[in-house]
Amino acid sequence: MPGLIVKHKKLFFVFFLFTLLFWLVTVQVKNGRFSFIEKPVLYVSSFFERIITWTFTSVESVGSRYVFLVHAHGENERLKEEINRLQLDNAVMNELLIENERLRDALKFKGLNPLASITAQVIGKEMSPTSSTITINKGSGVGIEKDMAVITPAGVVGRVQAVLAGSSKVILLTDPGSTLAVRVQRNREEGLLEGKLVNCALKYVSYYADIQQGDLLVTSGLDGIYPKGLAVATVVKVTKREASAFQSVVAEPVVKFSRLEETLVFKK
Amino acid sequence: MKPGIYLIVFLLIIPFQASLLNPLSIAGIKPDLALALLYVIGLITGPIEAALVGMGIGLILDIGSASFIGVAGFTRGLAGLSASLLGRKVLDISSPSSGIFLAAFSLVEDICIALFLQLCYGEIPFFSLLASRIIPRAIYTGALGVALLHLLAGRNVLAALKRRDVQKEL
Repeated sequence: MPGLIVKHKKLFFVFFLFTLLFWLVTVQVKNGRFSFIEKPVLYVSSFFERIITWTFTSVESVGSRYVFLVHAHGENERLKEEINRLQLDNAVMNELLIENERLRDALKFKGLNPLASITAQVIGKEMSPTSSTITINKGSGVGIEKDMAVITPAGVVGRVQAVLAGSSKVILLTDPGSTLAVRVQRNREEGLLEGKLVNCALKYVSYYADIQQGDLLVTSGLDGIYPKGLAVATVVKVTKREASAFQSVVAEPVVKFSRLEETLVFKK
Repeated sequence: MKPGIYLIVFLLIIPFQASLLNPLSIAGIKPDLALALLYVIGLITGPIEAALVGMGIGLILDIGSASFIGVAGFTRGLAGLSASLLGRKVLDISSPSSGIFLAAFSLVEDICIALFLQLCYGEIPFFSLLASRIIPRAIYTGALGVALLHLLAGRNVLAALKRRDVQKEL
């Protein structure tokens, strides 16, 4: 036997590595994902991602800004920014209106503060069959911390998973490792939204709860990560099974991740 | 192949996949550059080297993503090993049939991972994932692989690398 191992030592080494990787995965399934050497890898990759994105942006801006539309481009950018801000304000107002309708004490309501956010550009996007993440061009240098909420004016994008000085990795809503506390905007039913790669699933919703297709799910603020009242996803399918105490609810994120270019990171 | 080339591959694989391929994205689907590259490496090198490179690339992708560390390391290791074993049987590695093999590799790998995630998390919409991500990605990756092999074959890089590897083995 030892002779056989010595003769095929390379083959045994590869087999050993495969076994080691398999063991590593099984350990993480039990105890959660490891995050070792995440920062050096993120550092190197974001450095090159920055260069690539800068190159693309520069080429694009030469074409659009200087050659074709000198003034219109700047104006367009300004108006887009204003629309984004107004959309965000509108989302906040809607929530406030619902709060008021239910005669809650307005003074106790901790509203959202759009000023306490950092605008960041998406420099990398990876939506593979295993995970859904993006890289943004802002990091701890401007006050971003792990587990901060990342949003757009349309709704929630995800949360910060790893932070470097000049960039951060964001885990998207659809990633299987993502969970957030939400409630149905219409009737305030609560649940936990989990990422399912192509969409999300609303978990732990009672069989008797009134959930309908088209219902908007908003953050409940109970997870301590996302501010209350942000649009998250729309219910697309509701299934009730007699044998289960819970409903099976499928929801689609309101933000289209494939078109994502800029995000806001909420400061805690 | 030279370790320096592998180092460059390891350093650049995430930024190239996450940023450089963005303009090629169709409805959020991008080809799997890492797998296409690994397939090419597998075709021109020995099985052990290809398996080790596959594990390395996979581990880097795992660390850079939000998935369990080791999943892609394991599957990419197997992909490298299989591509290398296949490379010994295939006479013309720059033929378009390589694209079909590569697409099949991508399809099998992603299906295995989706089933694994189904076991871990449950309720993963498998068929929806298959139709919206896995199959389009496999086709796209196959096409990228053909383009990559065609490019390398056109510049005689492939033949030179393979010749050197065969000489090394002899």
